Parts: sequence; structure tokens; C-alpha cells
Amino acid sequence: MAEYVKLYDGSKCTGCRGCQLACKQWNQLPARQTRNTGTYQNPPALQPTTWTLMHFQEVSNGNGVKWFFRNEACMHCTDAACVKVCPSGALHYTAFGTVGLDREKCIGCKECIFACPFEVPKYDPATDKVAKCDMCQSRVENSMIPACVKACPTGALLFGEKEKILAVAAARAKEVGGDATVYGDKFVGGTHFVYVLPEKVSLYAKLPEKPRVPLTVIAWKDWLKPLSLLAAGGVLLGSFLHYIIHGPKSPDESGDSSAQ
Amino acid sequence: MKKGMIKATDAFERIVHWSLAISCILLMITGLGMMFHSLNFLAVPVGGLKNLKLIHNFTGLFFAVSLFFSILMWWREAGVFSFPEDIEWIKTAGGYLWHVDHVPEVGKYNPGQKMFFITVALFGAVMVVSGLIMWFPLSLNMNLVRFMYFLHALGFLVIFPFFFVHLYLGTIGSPGSLPAMVTGWVTRAWVKKQHPKWLHEMEESGKLVVYGEEKKPSSHHA
Repeated sequence: MAEYVKLYDGSKCTGCRGCQLACKQWNQLPARQTRNTGTYQNPPALQPTTWTLMHFQEVSNGNGVKWFFRNEACMHCTDAACVKVCPSGALHYTAFGTVGLDREKCIGCKECIFACPFEVPKYDPATDKVAKCDMCQSRVENSMIPACVKACPTGALLFGEKEKILAVAAARAKEVGGDATVYGDKFVGGTHFVYVLPEKVSLYAKLPEKPRVPLTVIAWKDWLKPLSLLAAGGVLLGSFLHYIIHGPKSPDESGDSSAQ
Repeated sequence: MKKGMIKATDAFERIVHWSLAISCILLMITGLGMMFHSLNFLAVPVGGLKNLKLIHNFTGLFFAVSLFFSILMWWREAGVFSFPEDIEWIKTAGGYLWHVDHVPEVGKYNPGQKMFFITVALFGAVMVVSGLIMWFPLSLNMNLVRFMYFLHALGFLVIFPFFFVHLYLGTIGSPGSLPAMVTGWVTRAWVKKQHPKWLHEMEESGKLVVYGEEKKPSSHHA
């Protein structure tokens, strides 16, 4: 199957939150008690029952207030730290390049929560499992577009084959001009959720400028893990060679009656 | 029990040793089951990885208690190097690796055993602390928790190979050693070879417990 990418174009977004609601509806996610943080952003962050969230950021630009919109959801990395650390294979790559989550397999170890450079997976104490956007795997596998994309009235969300969508994103960033950039295609092997951001990346709240698989995860999974097997194998081989070459260290043969 | 056997360990030492050993083995098996997808099948007998994780976590608590008693019990004898004989012994590698005419005499624990003890004590503690944080990571600092996963993997890298060294040298690599941790009684020839200085000291002080012999008062040698 071809690789698919979802695009969020911040320059076309009106902040209607249709995506957020459509996500809840399709995935049957209940609303939870929330609190007012002084913005339209509600809930304040992703939750186990909120897999896509509209960020509303008010920025004063001298003669008024400017809205920064951003749709937050799983970025579906090509080189996904969560898949790297998941012990059960609950987090996995799908045939279309996104990161799926098989909740049946999740053991609630929370390792992915601390591996993800975007802090996307959320732990749900009620089920002792994590939850996150799976790019509507159930829909995509049945030739439908994700619920959030389906609901978007302005075309700010697009879904399609990787090359096509990346070309659209690059063209749109150029068209918008100024500080507009494409976000997502340049790190962690390229994400399967990319943004066109009309403003500088650094101006967006809680958006890492250069996300990467944490060094501790790389050290743990790519270095220490194979090294521990190698070292144990080396010791076993060494012991065997020691036994057949040098021989065991036995008590001296002597007249001592208690010698073995 | 044959006459003339020498008591090397008491029952408490053996109980603590095996508590630590069995919990450690269990932790390694359950840990490996979660570490490699190809070893996920190790969770089948207990009904899945979630149960394996629970067993791993609670065995960890048992390990922590065993480690506490191990350190309390052994750090005086096995946690402190004595100079210069330990250095001399290390220079000859205890006669384990090449031919040595005369291996420097060491006490109850040779420097190799001491290094093993210190490694287990240190990295065991690292595993307990990092493991506990990994068990309850929410609301803790992100970078701290990330570092704990790294430490847990580092501890495994050290303890896993060391386990096989210990297994080899406690059994076929040093015949006569195993009974020290099974019945607690070893042969005089074995003690003479492995821990001659300890034998002398115990005989000197009259503390040596020999099977079938009345324990002599310490004034005997005075």
C-alpha cells in the first residue's frame, strides 16, 4: 500500500474545532471534565479521550491580537520513538506508514509516553492503557479518509498519498510566503502528519522546533540492548573456552582424606 | 555429612543468597520477555505481557529486600578491599586465566568475588531505583524518567553477563564451590585452595567449625 500523509494547513484553518469533534464521534470518545484556562483551547491538552486538539494561541502584534491555530494529534513518525520502545508491539507501523495502536496488546507500561518527542500518547488509568490518534486506521483501511479530514469545512486538513500531499504542502507554503514553512517532513524520518505553518515554528506553543528520538532511547534500544546480548554471549563463550583450555580451578590432589 | 567438612556459610546467608538469586533470574527472564519482541512468548505461561510486567514489578520488590539484606550481611567481608594482598591477587588474576605458581593468599572473599559483590550491590540498587521510577513515572520530570530507562538498560548490560560468570565460577569452573551455597559445608582441600588465608585465620582464632569435631575454645591456640 502506498504511504499516506495528512496535512494541516494553518493558513486555511478557522479554528472551528470540527476536526476535534469528528474525532471524538468516530472514535466514540466521551467528553471529560475540563477547566477554563482563559482560551478557546479546550481541553487544555491531549487526553486519553481527546486524540486531536485545536490549539488556540493569542499573540499580540502591536495593534491587536492575532490567532495562531494548530491542530495537535499524533505526528505518525517514520522513525517513531514510541514504536521503538513499545515492549508488546501494541504500537506498530501500518501498511500506509502511520503508527497504529493495538489497545488489546497495550500493557500500560507508559514507556511510549516518555519516548515520544511530541508528548502525544496519554495514559488512561481507567483502562490501564495508553491512547492516541491512529489516523483513523479503521477508516483508511476501508478506503475512507480520516474523520477529522472529512469534517474540515475549509480544506485546512487534507489526506492523500505522501508525494502528492508533500508537493501540495510545499506549494502552499510558498504561496503563503513570509515565514510560512512546512513542518514535519524534515525530522524523525518524516512525519505522516505535516503542517503548513504561516508563522515561524518557534512562535507556536508546545511545538518542538527540532523533534528527535531521544538520545536515551537510542542508547537504550540501539546500543545497550544488543550489547547486553553480545556481552552475555561473550561470557558464555569465554567460560566454555576457559573450561576446555585452562581448565577449572580444582582443589589440589593430596593425601587429605576430605579432598574430592 | 562427612567428617572434616568445614562450615563456610550459615543458613541465613544461604536463604538471602537464594532469595536474591531466584528473584534476579526471574527478573531477567521476565525482563527479557518485555525487552525483545522475539521473546514475548515468555509471557504465554502467565497469560500475557501485562501479567509478566506485574510479576516483574513485584519480583523487583522482593529483589530489593533481598539486596538490602545481602548488602547488610556481606559488605564488611566482601565490600572492602584489603591491601596489598588483593592487588597482588588481581595481578595474577587469581590463577584463573594463566598458570601461576603461587597465587597470593586471600581471605574469605577473593578480589574477584568482591568485585562481583560490589557490582551486584551497586547495579542492583540502580535497578531498584530506576525500576521504581519506571513503575510510577507520571508527574515526574520527563528527562529524569528517560534517563531511568537508560540506567535500567545499562544495569541489565552489566548484571546479565555477570550472572553467567558467577554461574560458571560457582559450579563447574571451580569444583567444590557449589556446596558452600547448598549445604554450607565444603572440603578442607577446597578451602585450602580457594581461601587459604581465611582458613588460617579461622584456625588461629579457633572459630573454624569442622563437622564431627567439638568446637575448641579459642584459648587452645594461645
